[in-house]
Amino acid sequence: MSGGPLFSSPIVAAAGGFTPALVTFLLYTMAVFSLAIISNHLRRGGSFLNEYFLGNRGLGVWAFALTFAATSASGGSFTGFPSKIYSHGWILGLWIGSYIIFPICTMGFIGKRLNQVARRSGAITVPDVIRDRFRSASFGLLAVALIVFFMSFNLIAQFKAGSLMLKTLLDGVAVFESATDYLGASLGGLSFFEGVDPAYLLCLLGFGLAVVAYTTYGGFQAVVWTDVMQGIVMVCGVIVMLPLALYLVGQQAPEGVGPLEHATLRMAEMSPPRKGTVTFLSPAPLEEGASLGKGAWVLASGTAEGAEARLFRIIDDSGGVAAGTRWPGVNVLEITTVGDREQVLKNEGDRVRRDLIFSELALEDYAYGAEEGRKGVYVTGPGPSPSSDAGFLPLSLVISFFFMWAISGSGQPASMVRLMAFNNTVTLRRSIFTVAIYYSLIYFPLVIIFCCARVLMPGMDAESDRIMPAMAVFLTENVGAGWLAGLLIAAPFAAVMSTVDSFLLMISSGLVRDIYQRNMNPGASERRLKWLSYLFTLVVGAAALLGAVNPPQFLQDIIVYTGSGLAACFLAPVVYAIYWPRSNVEGCMAGMLGGFAAHLSMYVGGIWANGSFFRPYRLMDFDPIIVGLLVSFVAGYVVTRLGPPPPEDLVRKYFHKRSASSGS
Amino acid sequence: MNEPENNLEPENTPWDPVFLDSRREAFIILMLWVAALLWAVPYCYLNGFPDTFDEKEFSTVWGIPSWLFWGIAVPWLLADVFTLWFCFFYMKDGDLGEDAPPEAETVAGEVSP
Repeated sequence: MSGGPLFSSPIVAAAGGFTPALVTFLLYTMAVFSLAIISNHLRRGGSFLNEYFLGNRGLGVWAFALTFAATSASGGSFTGFPSKIYSHGWILGLWIGSYIIFPICTMGFIGKRLNQVARRSGAITVPDVIRDRFRSASFGLLAVALIVFFMSFNLIAQFKAGSLMLKTLLDGVAVFESATDYLGASLGGLSFFEGVDPAYLLCLLGFGLAVVAYTTYGGFQAVVWTDVMQGIVMVCGVIVMLPLALYLVGQQAPEGVGPLEHATLRMAEMSPPRKGTVTFLSPAPLEEGASLGKGAWVLASGTAEGAEARLFRIIDDSGGVAAGTRWPGVNVLEITTVGDREQVLKNEGDRVRRDLIFSELALEDYAYGAEEGRKGVYVTGPGPSPSSDAGFLPLSLVISFFFMWAISGSGQPASMVRLMAFNNTVTLRRSIFTVAIYYSLIYFPLVIIFCCARVLMPGMDAESDRIMPAMAVFLTENVGAGWLAGLLIAAPFAAVMSTVDSFLLMISSGLVRDIYQRNMNPGASERRLKWLSYLFTLVVGAAALLGAVNPPQFLQDIIVYTGSGLAACFLAPVVYAIYWPRSNVEGCMAGMLGGFAAHLSMYVGGIWANGSFFRPYRLMDFDPIIVGLLVSFVAGYVVTRLGPPPPEDLVRKYFHKRSASSGS
Repeated sequence: MNEPENNLEPENTPWDPVFLDSRREAFIILMLWVAALLWAVPYCYLNGFPDTFDEKEFSTVWGIPSWLFWGIAVPWLLADVFTLWFCFFYMKDGDLGEDAPPEAETVAGEVSP
């Protein structure tokens, strides 16, 4: 393989201009808008709210399967997940172990019955179902409050994720750079924007306005059809990347050794990198104040005679300013594996700086996996970890994640809404199988692709969040198809978009349908509801956009907290509501509140136990989701048993065969 | 599976068949999840979490570490086959009904029947 492209920045744009990759990406974005416009024009008859928020329960196989799959696969599937594979190796195959049964669990477990109950009550939203099933406005309002609470935080985090992806993509484009400079100058002095990176802000406006606009305009149908396209883009991205990655790894493999086997054997030799600071010395005087650029490589010898040269990557351009012949306090990552060192020297060629000498090393080893002479840490469990001496995935977390994906996935209100929208049981059956194949084509191949990335692109540990776009560019440019990178980068962007638009609609439907129409003005006209739906979608989107201007840190942690929190609140009440005739409002409310409180208490406990809300207390080493679900199911059962039986007419309405005179 | 609690069955109206089918199918899905957990987790833990790594002991199948191949990749394929059977040969179709108009309700209070 010849010297590969630099994978620092820019990612897609060539020196100051548009590349075919960027053009591909822009075409994709235009296609999203076109679909939204078509969806709006094709809107069918029936109640506006039913059409705008649920598509009149008319989804067929492809629409239902792909909107479900795309909504479930948030941006994390294409940013956080590849980053974790790159950082911890093959163990991620076990981390997503319950994805083997994810589609059948999340769609088959409650799908058919929830759809039926929603039809019997005429429900459009999840709080609608809860309210009608138990004939309790207060229970419905509690459900709305929890959805708005969790999803607002999640929406802000997803906005940030989408904006960061766009920023990575546009980095280096001349028009973007000029617009960034102009925006930075215009906002100077405004306290709200103090400390905000103008490039991020510009991307946030671009991403946020685009998603809010097409969601507001097109409603559920637009979200579904853009989800379908986004779902296709995601799977195509993976299907294209897999052979490319294997092909490039195969070029390095000795004769008779398969590409993937070569990658795995190379990984077995790897040891985790070290991170810390180093002082570089130069034989010649350095320009005063000069900085080593972020992402630069330095092959430096030690001061001791005959000491072996060591390979460092600069991970931060804030520290390390030259003074005299010294470059003190430079933040670096040291590559510790011989094979990786050779790969970097081969990839980077003359771009590796070789004129410096290192001294005053202050490097930290990984807490697990860096023991002297240890091998195999990237190909066995629990996987290397920089912070935990139990490794990345000890047994307790393996079990927790088995619950986390398949079980908590069934409890997500955004997925439940989709389960209320398919047209008949034939669609459901075919869609479950379609999604099973779809996820099989995405998730395990992603593990293979990014294990190959570890071999092809060593040294990305400090910025592994960018491994997806970096790998896309690396693969496509090395096979002479740079334009394909745009499509591959569109995949994670598509994943974020399809999650954001669904959440946006969930929140606005909660406000318009569950609060305004059902509690304040049941007799509101279609026209008023229509304009309120547009208005609330726009307002919620704008609020999330403003919230993301100064977003909280811990992006991935917020997503995990809200996703598991929603499952802890909603799964048990919904399961009891649709499968247990004896369930009553007291029990299911207790289940919802109990799940919320137990889950939250684990996170609050983290403040005392671990010093941060986002490092939750793990009871017996299990994730908070297990505690939340357990408390929710137990509280729901016990309180139901202690409470009165439900009204007989409600049981008859939702659990008994309807007579011909009562319809259907 | 037991029939739903009979004391709640009013006036001998039969239970809804979609409810009964869905509940039976949900139970099977739950058992599938338990089976996947009981296979994947112990198998991977016993074969893929060695105290010390021995290169001679370490093996791969098609380039995938064998503990992950047998613990996750093969069960994944089997789960897809099971899903095929479940969706096309086991899961029952049923009439889900048409949308009912929402119940009459008061503005601030509970929904009235």
